[in-house]
Amino acid sequence: MSRPKLAVWKFASCDGCQLSLLSAEDELLTLAAEVHIAHFLEATREVAPGPYDVSLVEGSITTPADVERIQRVREISTTLVTIGACATAGGIQALRNLADVEAYRALVYAHPEYVQTLARSSAIAEHVPVDLELRGCPVEVPQLIEVVSALLAGRKPLIPTHAVCVECKLRGNVCVMVADGTPCLGPVTQAGCGARCPAFARGCYGCFGPMETPNPSALTDRLHAMGVDDPTLVRLFRTFNVDAPAFRTEARRREAIDAGADGRTP
Amino acid sequence: MHDIHTIDPVTRIEGHAKITLHLGDDGEVADARFHVTEFRGFEEFCKGRPVAEMPGLTARTCGICPVSHLIAASKAGDAIYAVTPPPAAIRQRRLLNLGQILQSHSLSFFHLSAPDLLLGMDHDPATRNVFGLMQAEPEIARRGIRLRQFGQEVIAAVAGQRIHGSLVVPGGVARQFTTEMRDRIVADLDEMMGAATATLELLVSVEDRFERELHSFGEFDSIYVGHCLPDGTWEHIDGKLRIMAADGSMLVDQLDPHDYREVFGEAGKTDSYLKSPYYRPYVDGDDPRPGMYRVGPLARINLAERFGTPVADEGLAAFRERYGRIARSSFLYHHARVLEVIACVERIAALMEDPVLFEEKVRSQAGINALRGVGASEAPRGTLIHDYEVDGNGLITAMNLIIATGQNDLAVNRTILDIAREFVDGPQLTDGMLNRIEAGVRAYDPCLSCSTHAVGQMPMAVSLIAPDGETLAEVRRD
Ligand code: SF4
Ligand code: SF4
Repeated sequence: MSRPKLAVWKFASCDGCQLSLLSAEDELLTLAAEVHIAHFLEATREVAPGPYDVSLVEGSITTPADVERIQRVREISTTLVTIGACATAGGIQALRNLADVEAYRALVYAHPEYVQTLARSSAIAEHVPVDLELRGCPVEVPQLIEVVSALLAGRKPLIPTHAVCVECKLRGNVCVMVADGTPCLGPVTQAGCGARCPAFARGCYGCFGPMETPNPSALTDRLHAMGVDDPTLVRLFRTFNVDAPAFRTEARRREAIDAGADGRTP
Repeated sequence: MHDIHTIDPVTRIEGHAKITLHLGDDGEVADARFHVTEFRGFEEFCKGRPVAEMPGLTARTCGICPVSHLIAASKAGDAIYAVTPPPAAIRQRRLLNLGQILQSHSLSFFHLSAPDLLLGMDHDPATRNVFGLMQAEPEIARRGIRLRQFGQEVIAAVAGQRIHGSLVVPGGVARQFTTEMRDRIVADLDEMMGAATATLELLVSVEDRFERELHSFGEFDSIYVGHCLPDGTWEHIDGKLRIMAADGSMLVDQLDPHDYREVFGEAGKTDSYLKSPYYRPYVDGDDPRPGMYRVGPLARINLAERFGTPVADEGLAAFRERYGRIARSSFLYHHARVLEVIACVERIAALMEDPVLFEEKVRSQAGINALRGVGASEAPRGTLIHDYEVDGNGLITAMNLIIATGQNDLAVNRTILDIAREFVDGPQLTDGMLNRIEAGVRAYDPCLSCSTHAVGQMPMAVSLIAPDGETLAEVRRD
């Protein structure tokens, strides 16, 4: 049997996620022997023709050319895995989805004959069916290796969908919210990082995006009672996963409360 | 109108790019342009956010040099809070930046450029990559992997993780440096020094094979810009800027980065999301090209009198004997990078002996004291400047990021033009020529993701455009 073909694709991103793959030095050496890394521009100029057994897609869709290219990538890929917050939720650049479009217009539409940009940055899954999502900003190397090896072995990858809180407890961290009153998105954020930030006594800022069944309103009500003001709560949900539906909705809800739109006194 | 060639994508450049080559009426390449086509918009969407968030947010401009953004953003924050970080925090940031330069240069040299340099520019593309190098030269590839790993471990020790670490903050850093961290780093030092010096020997031994590239990959006069101590010692994070003319004479020395606007202008371009900064006193009118300057490893070693560490200085002396006091060819960025790798290992070793690094106080606290703050440092690819304006609550009202790759943009265009003139023959794009354009661009190690923070980014295509505007040839690889 010929070696399975792996491709790595880049859209709008910082390249941090695909570099995580390059950082898995030891595993990469083994992997390079087992799979044909057929398309990985950070590492090689060889572009073997598709179809590819596994395509890892980094980055979000931000240009008309991206919209077409992702269709092509989908057509020639058996399994398509999105990697990182850019690909799974539009990334930090999706902050521009909220901004005053006029402010960007001069920049973005200045010279459409040479360069073209869409008004929104969107997740890959808004454009094509995605088989598997790997979260994080950036993705975690062990999770990336797990996904690739599982797919090659034909088994289901083990990727948890519970909250960071669970990992925090397993790690034996002191809860930063209870102990120091630090705002933390751990209760609504998907696990996978090993609760890294709370381990350094910092609140989780949600780089893995929402867990499977989050309850962000309960969290923000609690944080509000602890004295965190609404603009801060809104910003808490507006970082690398600003356009993930659960975070987007909660930020809007807090914004409405801040504006007094729900009839409550802010 | 002109004729254009486009190369797309330039692989093994972090990010994506598009190149057009315009033919003149005489059939020779008359102009070359490097376009950035991706737009992310950091300078816009950071507005309204607290300055304290900037290290974490701006780090996402680039996954290759996130640490450089962490540092520049934190320094801009220091200026707004008007605080001086405690001595231990300054040492930790220095250590972090050395780890960053070391890992990024190793990636550039071993993963991206060594396949061309060691296997040859015309080697089969199927194996002219890091995986091919692993097979053909496993020992050399291993050295590169280890050096990069070591740099990343240094980063993880200070910042908490290899990519997008979060422990560098305005006012200092978030935690104390421990002797356990030191011991892990010290254990690898001898191996790293060995790997770094062996790499220099190897590079010196193959450099003669690239006589033609040496003279065609951006061999021209330019200004050089970078941090440098007043006594001429190489510097990467503290201190001020030195601006040197092509002949080595000093144009400005010890410019406070806060005043960068006095000497640098920024040209917006109609065909790219990348801005091109230029040296203002040399520009009179709309064309920024006379103000072209180079930043990064080559500029830094031209600016400095010495590294200030013995092994790197020995290498620098040999380099100058061969290429002169001012090295003009951008092909020599590779050599400069390897010398800096050695200097980084030596300086990391010295820091491990410095008791101040381990002190407990690592953060100074203060409120908003200034409404503008500029932070600068040497990123692996060159000088990085973050310029913030804030309101009384510390929320960003204006932001300007000046990125190394942008500053080298005019020089990159000039380099592509020189290479195209040397290697393009008639209205065709040959593979050998494409490889050389890619390699010429790659000498600068451009990081396109971050250079397009404000106005864009790119997959790479090369097109050859005729004087009447017709596309004669186009190569895309995506
Ligand atoms: S998810 Fe984060 S680390 Fe990954 S490419 Fe996007 S910005 Fe970079
Ligand atoms: S704790 Fe939260 S912010 Fe920190 S790495 Fe994990 S998911 Fe990301």
